[in-house]
Amino acid sequence: MSMYPIATTTVGAGGATSITFSSIPQNFTHLHLRAFTRGVVSSGTNIPMQFNGDGTSGNYITHYVGGTGAATFSGSTGGNANIGWTMGTTDTANGFGASIVDILDYTNTNKNKTVRTLNGVVQDATTGTGLLGLWSGLWISTAAINSINISLSSTPLFAQYSTFQLYGITTA
Amino acid sequence: MSVFLQPLQTVTVGAGGVATISFASIPQGYTDLVVKCSLAASGAATSVNGTMYLNGNNSNGSFTNLFGNGSGASSSRVSGYMDVVTTPGSTSTANTFSSNEIYFANYTSSNYKSIISDSVNENNTAAADQVLRSILWSNTAAINQIQITCTNGSWVQYSKVSLYGVLRNGI
Repeated sequence: MSMYPIATTTVGAGGATSITFSSIPQNFTHLHLRAFTRGVVSSGTNIPMQFNGDGTSGNYITHYVGGTGAATFSGSTGGNANIGWTMGTTDTANGFGASIVDILDYTNTNKNKTVRTLNGVVQDATTGTGLLGLWSGLWISTAAINSINISLSSTPLFAQYSTFQLYGITTA
Repeated sequence: MSVFLQPLQTVTVGAGGVATISFASIPQGYTDLVVKCSLAASGAATSVNGTMYLNGNNSNGSFTNLFGNGSGASSSRVSGYMDVVTTPGSTSTANTFSSNEIYFANYTSSNYKSIISDSVNENNTAAADQVLRSILWSNTAAINQIQITCTNGSWVQYSKVSLYGVLRNGI
């Protein structure tokens, strides 16, 4: 077996603006994150990820492609390595968006770090309206990743029961 | 149901690069296969595809993709070969590698093989590629060899590709 749980965080009552995984073990080959998210914000919000406490906006860029059920979309944004979109307060109750995230070769000091995410959100269970996307984030740093911070902007919160599960994957 | 992810083989590219990454003599005892790829190419471009050969065969392949480049989305279809990854080239941001996962369902089946890949090719500009591919290999042979060949230059040093076997055990 090559996939090992590192840490899990479940948001409690009152919500959380930020989730941090620190002291990430350096003995795996890849990192894998499963995030199930709901934001305390109308219609949800994007999910920004940063590494090793580096908050320098110019060190990150995100690209994405996806569909809404009615149209396709594609774009880019700086400042973070986004891992998709949350559900929000005006969306179907008790629903959460899902982000399946891979960070390959996270300790390799010859590589900038690329984050790949499959994300899906069904915002309206009656109509099926939602978002499905492939998200790509770049952290322009060759440092080994030892911490991950996922922070919503100041007003939105991750809602209670949002869950983040970090795994390490080996190659031997 | 329990699911096991068993590492089978890993290739890390050394100095000088390689044109093709190969996994041969793939064990036949798993349910599915997964390949995780961190790749960059030496070709003078910002987007370089890798094409896949299964058991040495590429021409029995066809695929449909969803493509985004940071400013627009499109979908297209191809037959006669199997592109499977999209990576940075030598004119992309230095030290940047793509991230890709390729999933082979029922790879020992005597039916045709269905494969899904998701691929992101980063670059520190507004333009960079994200590609989802649904691939059909119209061949009934069990997959015992996978090759991923660079279509522009070679795979550069530090590229890393890992093959895993997925075993589903009902309980």
